[in-house]
Amino acid sequence: MLKYLAYAKKAFLGRSAYRFDHLMGILSTCLQFFIFYEIYRALYGSGDSVDGITMSMVTTNFVLSLGLGAMFSPDDYYLPRRIWDGSISTELLRPISFPGRMIAENVGASCFNLIFKFVPVLLIAIFTTGMEKPAGAVSMILFIVSALLGYGVLWTISFLVQMTSFWLINIWSLITIKDVLVNVCSGKMIPLWFMPVWMTGILRFTPFEAIYFTPVQIYLGQLTMPEMLTKCAVQIVWIVILYLIGSILWKQGQKKLIVQGG
Amino acid sequence: MLSFEHVSKFILSDVSLHIPKGQVVGLIGDTGAGKTTLIKLASGLLKPEEGRVSVMGKDPQDNRSRYGTRLSVLITGTKLLEDGDSARSGLDMLRYTYAIPKEEYLQSYRELSDRFGFKGYENAKLKELSTGQRRRVELAAVCIMRPELVILDEPDVGLDEEGKQILEELVREQAREGVTYLITSHNMPEISNMCDRLAILAEGRLMFYGSESVLRSQYLPINTMTITYDGAIPNIDDLPIVRYRMDGNRIAYDYNSRYITASEVLNVLMKQTGILDVKIQKTDLEQIISKLHG
Repeated sequence: MLKYLAYAKKAFLGRSAYRFDHLMGILSTCLQFFIFYEIYRALYGSGDSVDGITMSMVTTNFVLSLGLGAMFSPDDYYLPRRIWDGSISTELLRPISFPGRMIAENVGASCFNLIFKFVPVLLIAIFTTGMEKPAGAVSMILFIVSALLGYGVLWTISFLVQMTSFWLINIWSLITIKDVLVNVCSGKMIPLWFMPVWMTGILRFTPFEAIYFTPVQIYLGQLTMPEMLTKCAVQIVWIVILYLIGSILWKQGQKKLIVQGG
Repeated sequence: MLSFEHVSKFILSDVSLHIPKGQVVGLIGDTGAGKTTLIKLASGLLKPEEGRVSVMGKDPQDNRSRYGTRLSVLITGTKLLEDGDSARSGLDMLRYTYAIPKEEYLQSYRELSDRFGFKGYENAKLKELSTGQRRRVELAAVCIMRPELVILDEPDVGLDEEGKQILEELVREQAREGVTYLITSHNMPEISNMCDRLAILAEGRLMFYGSESVLRSQYLPINTMTITYDGAIPNIDDLPIVRYRMDGNRIAYDYNSRYITASEVLNVLMKQTGILDVKIQKTDLEQIISKLHG
C-alpha cells in the first residue's frame, strides 16, 4: 500500500510544479461554465422553469459536472506513452501492479485538482451565480459517495480505452470519440433533462450518466432514497464491468507483448 | 541461476546455455544477432517458441513482477526511470516500489551516487542530462534494487572511460558477492575484461560459450611474444614456435597457446640470454568474431 501512496504523492507534487498550467485549467473551466451559463440564461429568458427544471438547477448541473470534470482528469495516454517508448516492458518487471499504479497516480493528480481546481471553480460559481444548495445532509453525503463512484466509472472507461493501445498503438481518435461521448452523454455539456426521451432511454444503458448526472441528481434531491441507492449500485456495477473488461484486455495485451515482442 | 534449453524465438535458433550463480557472462554479437531477444527471454518479456528458459529455477513468465525484486534489467532504448524524474526522485521511487528499508536505501544511495559521481546533478531532471550522465544514474538504479540477477543491454553506451571503469569495478565486486550478470555488447575487447564467460551469437545461433582463454585457444591460438635481449641469440629448436622475426636486439616469436604457455617460452629464453623487456600480444578478439562469422 505504501508504494501506491508514494506514487499518489508523487503525482500530487508533480502537478504543483506546473502552476501556470493549473491556473489556465481553472480559467478554462470557468470560461466553459460562464459560456454555458450565459447560453442557458438567454434560453430561459424571463421564464422560471422549463419542464420543471429551473435555471438554478441547470447552473448547479454545470458547476458540479464541470467542476468534477476538472478534478477527474484520467491521463488517457498513461499506457499508450509507455507502449510508444517501449518502457512498458520495464514496467512489467516491477513488483507493483501496473493498473494499481495508474490508479494511484491518477488519484494523486485528482486530489491536487480537488484543492486547486474544483474548490476555486466552486467558490467562483457560488459567488457569481445562483447555484442550488444541497437538498439535505443525506443528499450531500450520498453526493460525495456518488461523485467518487462517478470518478471510478470515468477512470475505468479511460482504462478500457487505453488497453486497446496494445493492438491499435495510436488511439488518439478513440480517445477523442470517448471524450465527445463523455462530454455529451454525461450531461456535462447539455443537462440530460433536456435530452429527447428516446436518447435518455438509450443513455440509461450506458455508463455515461453515472459519471456526472447521477451525483448532480442526488445533490439536487431529485431522487428518493431507494433511487439514490439504486443509482449508486448501478455506478458500482459499471465500475466492475468496465474494470473486468479492461483487465481482460490488459492480460491479453501482455500476452501479445510476450509472444510478438514489443 | 539462468538456463536456456534448446530455445528458439524469432531469429534465435536452438540456443542452450547455463549461467551459474555469481558468474559474469558477456553476450556478444552483431546487430540482429539475437542479443536483445535472448535477454528479453531471460527477463520473461518474451515467450520462447520452442525450448525452455529457467531463471532461479523457475519459468520467468510466471509472475514477472514478483521476479522483479530479484532481477534488474536495463535495456538500451527503454527508459528505466522517467524523464521528469531526477536521479534523487527516480531512485526514491524505486525505494518504495522495491520496498527497500530506508536506512539500507540511504546507505546504498550515498555509495552509488559517490561512486557514479552524480551527486552534483542529483536534482536535475533526467531529460536535461547527457546520455552518459543519465546512463550513470540508470546503472545506479539497477544496483540499488539489490538484485540477484542483473541483465544489462549495452551498458557502456554513452559512458566515458571513467564510467566504463566504474562499471567494470562494480560488476566484479558484486559478482564476488554472488550477483549474476548477463551483459550484452558490441564491444568485445571491453566487455571481455569484466566477464568470466563469453557467449557469442551470430545470426541467432550460439557459436561459442565459455571463458576467454578457451575461446582464444580454440579459435585463434597464435600469440606473439616480443623480447628485447642482451646477450646471445637464444636457441628455440626445442620450442613449438610457429615463426619468428628479428629486428636488431628484438625478436618476435609467434607461438601456439594450445601447446605452450607464455611463461614456458620465457623460461627457456631466460636460461639462454639476458631479457631486457617482454611484450605479449594476444590475437584481437574482434578477429575471432570475424572468424566465427565465417
